[in-house]
Amino acid sequence: MIETGKRRESAEQIAERNGIPRRDFLKICGAVAATFGLAQSTVVEQVARALSPGGAKPPVIWLEGQDCAGCTVSFAGSLNPPATQILLDRISLRYHETVMAAAGHQAEKAYHDTVKQGGYVLVVEGSVPGADDRFCMVGGRPFREILEEAAASAAAIIAVGACATYGGIPAATPSLGLGLDRALAGKTVINLPTCPVHVEHLVGTVLYFLTTAQVPALDDYGRPVAYYRTLIHDNCNRRGAYENGQFLTDWNDPAQKEWCLLEKGCKGPFTYSDCPIRKWNDGINYCIDCGAGCMGCSEPDFYDGMSPLFE
Amino acid sequence: MSQRITIDPVTRIEGHLKIEIEVENGKVKDAWSSGTMARGFEALLQGRDPRDAPFVTSRFCGVCYSVHQYCSCRALDEAFGATVPWGGTLLRNLAMGAMYIYDHILHFYQLSALDYIDIMAIAKYDGKDPALQAVKEKVVALVQAGDTSPFTPRYQPDDWCVRDPETVTTAVKHYIDALQINAKARNMGAIFGGRTPHYQSLVVGGCTQYPDINMVAKYRTMLDEIAAFVRDVYIPDVLHFGTGPLWPLAEMGLGGGHHRYLSYGSFEKDPAGTNLVFKPGVVRKLNLGGYEVESLDAGKITESVEHAWYRAAAPQHPYDGEQVFDLDRSGAYSFIKAPRYDGQAYEVGPLARTIVAQHPKLLELVQQGARPGVVARHAARALETQAMVDACYHWLDLLTREMTRSDFRIHDTAHWDPPESGQGAGFFEAPRGALGHWIRIENGEIANYQAVVPSTWNASPRDEKGVRGQYEEALIGAPIPDPENPINAVRIIRSFDPCLACAIHLIDPQTNQLRRFVVE
Ligand code: SF4
Ligand code: SF4
Repeated sequence: MIETGKRRESAEQIAERNGIPRRDFLKICGAVAATFGLAQSTVVEQVARALSPGGAKPPVIWLEGQDCAGCTVSFAGSLNPPATQILLDRISLRYHETVMAAAGHQAEKAYHDTVKQGGYVLVVEGSVPGADDRFCMVGGRPFREILEEAAASAAAIIAVGACATYGGIPAATPSLGLGLDRALAGKTVINLPTCPVHVEHLVGTVLYFLTTAQVPALDDYGRPVAYYRTLIHDNCNRRGAYENGQFLTDWNDPAQKEWCLLEKGCKGPFTYSDCPIRKWNDGINYCIDCGAGCMGCSEPDFYDGMSPLFE
Repeated sequence: MSQRITIDPVTRIEGHLKIEIEVENGKVKDAWSSGTMARGFEALLQGRDPRDAPFVTSRFCGVCYSVHQYCSCRALDEAFGATVPWGGTLLRNLAMGAMYIYDHILHFYQLSALDYIDIMAIAKYDGKDPALQAVKEKVVALVQAGDTSPFTPRYQPDDWCVRDPETVTTAVKHYIDALQINAKARNMGAIFGGRTPHYQSLVVGGCTQYPDINMVAKYRTMLDEIAAFVRDVYIPDVLHFGTGPLWPLAEMGLGGGHHRYLSYGSFEKDPAGTNLVFKPGVVRKLNLGGYEVESLDAGKITESVEHAWYRAAAPQHPYDGEQVFDLDRSGAYSFIKAPRYDGQAYEVGPLARTIVAQHPKLLELVQQGARPGVVARHAARALETQAMVDACYHWLDLLTREMTRSDFRIHDTAHWDPPESGQGAGFFEAPRGALGHWIRIENGEIANYQAVVPSTWNASPRDEKGVRGQYEEALIGAPIPDPENPINAVRIIRSFDPCLACAIHLIDPQTNQLRRFVVE
C-alpha cells in the first residue's frame, strides 16, 4: 500500500484513479519488469507513483516558434549543474522539438498528453508571427494556437530570449514577430531576454521555481530582478575609461584595448543586465570584454530600437 | 496499395520541417519536403546600416550560430573595400573552427544517435565498467520512475538498430559526455568570438577581440581536451557503427539521392588563401571507380519558385529574381525555394565536401563497398571534424607567430565606415554546406540583401521541371516495412543535419526592385 495524502490505496487503485484500467496497469508493469529483468512486484509501486501527479519529476514543455534554437543551444551549455543532470534528474522534458526522440504523431501525442495533464512549466523560445499565422506552422497548426493552448494549463510560463520575450529581431521583419508580452497579454510570464538567453539566467530561474514553486520577483518588464537589476554601464570595467574620456577608435591599438566602446555604439548606458558581473560562457568572455560592445539585447526595444548597432 | 505518411514536426533538427512520403510495397515511392516557418530577415535589413547585417543574419540559426555572421562579414568586406589583416582572419577562423567542431559532434550524438540504437538494451548491460554501470543505473531509474522523457516516445527500433548492451550503454555514455564537450567547445570559441551562441566580435574588416598570449594558451588547453574526445571517442564511434552494425545501410547506400555534389570551399590556411581546409568544386556524375571534379561557376546558380509560396516567376539567378510572397499559391508546399546548379539539383554539406576533396579515407570506405548515403554522411562529418581540429592547432601556431610582429593587426580600421555605394558577395562552407551572402549598398544603407543557404539546396521542393530536391530524392526507395514506424525516413532526413530556420527567407513586396549582382 502507498500513502497518498490521507488515503491509503493500492498501486492499482492509484493507477485507476489516474485513468489507467487495472488490466493496462498490470501490462505496463509487466513490460517494465520484463525489459529490465526485474520482478514484477518490485516495479508496481514505482510505476504507480510515476503515474500519479506530484510523484514524478515536474513536466516541462519547451515550445519553439519563430526561433533559431540559439536559446536551446545556450541551455545545453550548462556546466554546473550539467545540462544532462537537469534533463535526467530534475525535470521531465516532455516536448522539445530539437531534443526529443519522438517525431511526428508521437511528438504531437507527447505534447497533447502533457497539456491534458496540466501543471507543467512552459518554456517558450521564438516569437509568434503577428502578420499571418501561416508564417509559423507546427504539426499543421498555427504556432499561435499551440502556444495559447499550452499557456492555459501551465503552472508557470518562462519566455527565453529576445524573440519570445518582446519580439526581438523578428519583430522588425514582415512577419511581425510578437513576444509573449503581446501574444499572451495579461498572463504572468517570466521574461529572460538577451539574444540568446543566458544559460545561468535560465537554469537559475527554473531551479528557483522548482524549489519554491514561486515566480521570482520581476521588474516592470517581467524580468527577474535578480538578474536584470543593474545598468551594464554601472558595472562595466571600462567605466573608468569612460569617465576619463578614453574612447576606443582603433581595434588594432593595444593601448586602447580596455577603452570605452561608446564610440563603437555600446548600448551599455541604457541596458539592464548582469552581463558585466556574470559574463558569458562560464565567465570566459562577453560582449564588452571582446571589444564589440553591448547591443542592448536584454531590453524590450531590441532590435529595432537599438539599430544601428555600431552608431 | 500506396499509403501517404506525414511526419510533422520532424524533430532533432533545427527549424520547422514537414516530410510527406508515399509508401508502396514497403518502400518510399515519392516524397515532399516542406519548410513551415518564415521570418523575413532580408526584408528587415533593407535601409539599415550595413554593419548590422552580420549581427542580424547570425540569428538565422542558433545551432550553427555565426556562420552567417562570418559569411556576411565577407560580403561586407568586399562591399566596403576592406582588406582583413591576416591576424583578423586567424581570429575569425579560430572562433568558427570551435563552432564547427561542436556542431558536428552535436549532430552525431544529440541529433542522430537515437535513431540507431535501442536505448532500452542498456538494461541488459552486465559488464564491470563502473562508468557504464552508472549510465545503466541512471536509465533504469528513469524507467522505474515511469518517466523516460525525452528518450521516449520514439519510433520502434528496427532491424538496423544496435542492440548489443555494451555498445548501446557506451553510446549513451558518450551522448552525455558529448554534451559537456560541446559546451566546452562553444566556450572555447567565445575566447575570440566574445560569447556564444552568436559571436559578438566578428565585424566587417576583421575581429574586435585583441588577443593576448593567455587567450591563446587557454584556447590550446581547451582544444587539447576536445581533440582527445574527437580522436578517442567520436571518430572511433562513427567508424565502429559505420563499418560494424550499420554496414548493411552503408552498402545499401540508404539515402543517396541525386549523387551530385557541390562545394564553395573555405577556411584559408595561409594568407594568400591558396591552401584551404575545404576545397571548392562540383561533381556532376559520381562514378565510384573514379570521377571528375569540375571547378565551380557561381553564375550557373538559379532558383525556382514553382512549388514555393512566392509569386510565380521563371527560374532565375537568385539576384535577378523577384521574391514576392504568395501564401495562397496553388501547387506550392514550402517556404524554401529550389536552387539548382546548371539546371540540376545538388547535395551540399560534409559528404559533398568530402567527395569533392576526394578524401582518401572516404575513398577507402567506398573501395570496401560503402555507397554514399546516410552512413557516409556521418563518416564525412567525423573526417571533417578531425581536419578542423588540425586546422585550429595550425591557426593557433600562426596566430602566436603573428602576434609577435610589430605591425600585428586584427582589423581594417580605414574601411569601418559604410561606403556611399557598393556591392559584395561572401562565400563560405558552413557545417551544413555551401553558403552565400550578397549585399548591395546605396546611400550608405543596405539596398538589398540575399542569402542562399545550405539547407535551401538540400531541403528544396521540386523545381519547374518537377525534379525533386535532394531530401526528397534521397527518400526514394527507402525501406519502410511498417508505415507506423518510418524510422528510415527520419534517419535519412537527419543525416543531412537540417537547419530550416535559415533556409527560409523572404523579401518585402513593396521593395521588390530589380536585383542584379555580379557573382564571381
Ligand atoms: S563600454 Fe559601454 S557600458 Fe562600458 S563604460 Fe563604455 S559605454 Fe559604458
Ligand atoms: S552585454 Fe549587452 S548585448 Fe551582450 S548579452 Fe548582455 S545585454 Fe546582450
